[in-house]
Amino acid sequence: MAADGETNPETGKLEFSLDVPFPSSREATIALRSLSPDREPRRGGISKHLSVSGSTLSVRWSADEARILRVSVNSFLDHLSLVIETMEMFGPPVAL
Amino acid sequence: MTVVIGFEGSANKIGIGIIKDGEVLSNPRRTYITPPGQGFMPSDTARHHRAVVLTVLQEALEQAGLKPADVDCVAYTKGPGMGAPLVTVALVARTVAQLWGKPLLGVNHCIGHIEMGRLITKANNPTVLYVSGGNTQVGYRLHRAAWQLFGQISNDPSPGYNIEQMAKKGTQYVELPYTVKGMDVSFSGILSYIEITQHCYNGDELPVALQETVFSMLVEITERAMAHCGSQEVLIVGGVGCNLRLQEMMGVMCKERGAKLFATDERFCIDNGAMIAQAGWEMFRSGQVTELEDSWITQRYRTDEVEVTWRD
Repeated sequence: MAADGETNPETGKLEFSLDVPFPSSREATIALRSLSPDREPRRGGISKHLSVSGSTLSVRWSADEARILRVSVNSFLDHLSLVIETMEMFGPPVAL
Repeated sequence: MTVVIGFEGSANKIGIGIIKDGEVLSNPRRTYITPPGQGFMPSDTARHHRAVVLTVLQEALEQAGLKPADVDCVAYTKGPGMGAPLVTVALVARTVAQLWGKPLLGVNHCIGHIEMGRLITKANNPTVLYVSGGNTQVGYRLHRAAWQLFGQISNDPSPGYNIEQMAKKGTQYVELPYTVKGMDVSFSGILSYIEITQHCYNGDELPVALQETVFSMLVEITERAMAHCGSQEVLIVGGVGCNLRLQEMMGVMCKERGAKLFATDERFCIDNGAMIAQAGWEMFRSGQVTELEDSWITQRYRTDEVEVTWRD
């Protein structure tokens, strides 16, 4: 898992990115679709974008305040670990 | 044959149940217990559910003697309830639905209680009183939750059950504020009244008074609903619904009207996974599914927002 954080000089926003490798693109897509439906609870102040490329799940955050960013990233990591544990216990995915 | 697995975790219980055509194959549950007088906070509750959800899922499959391939649909509670616990349980439901290649179905928690009550009691077309820790309603009218009152009482196994045990000690009745306006009840004022006056009593009277007052209000509006609808059946569901005194009082009213009373015990009254599976079973059989992108949870979710496609 690779992570990177910095302040964007153009927008002044705090940015954070995370790349999570999965055994296959199928599993990365499952994680994406499990983690995507729930919106960020707060209106404005933060945006989060999830995408899959190959077998890697990528998440990009952009936030006004470090506090909001930290809460969102923490909560995402909690959710991610639950999804991965679920896959380990109840996977692998059936053939489509 | 249709097999549905149901995931429930909207409040302090986490339950996963499996239903096969009206038969409960398994229904394991865990309760997050906090000290009396302390409610359960969303993040702590979510942490509790997170710690046990996968174990409970394994138990549900093992007790039912089923493999994931035998499941036809994965149902989960979409709302109403506390956000963080709802998300925790929904994440697992979404993930296994995809791993197993099964359709997903978001269920309204209140509909789950009602459908489970109907399944267990075989009531035909009842007026439903749904009274629980978080939600109180007759038919589709919403009321300030009885939780405001019963939340002060231990939630292990449920406040409705515990107040019944506490009330057995009291013999004297104390008058409390009684507010019914049409089909609405108001519980506000009762708790303040108790807080202000409790030093006057030895402690045994208040549970009795609370039960008698609140339940009288609930029986009154239920009777009014029956009169409006011409209904001859009452079904009590929800966690407080397993309270025997409530059932007794409702029974008296029903007898006077020549109506029939239906109620369930704590296995199915208190939040559980099978009730979500049962509502999911009805919805799935009528052709409903929830696409993953629409599977977000919602803390507020009125019962009458659900389109009932499974009943005339």
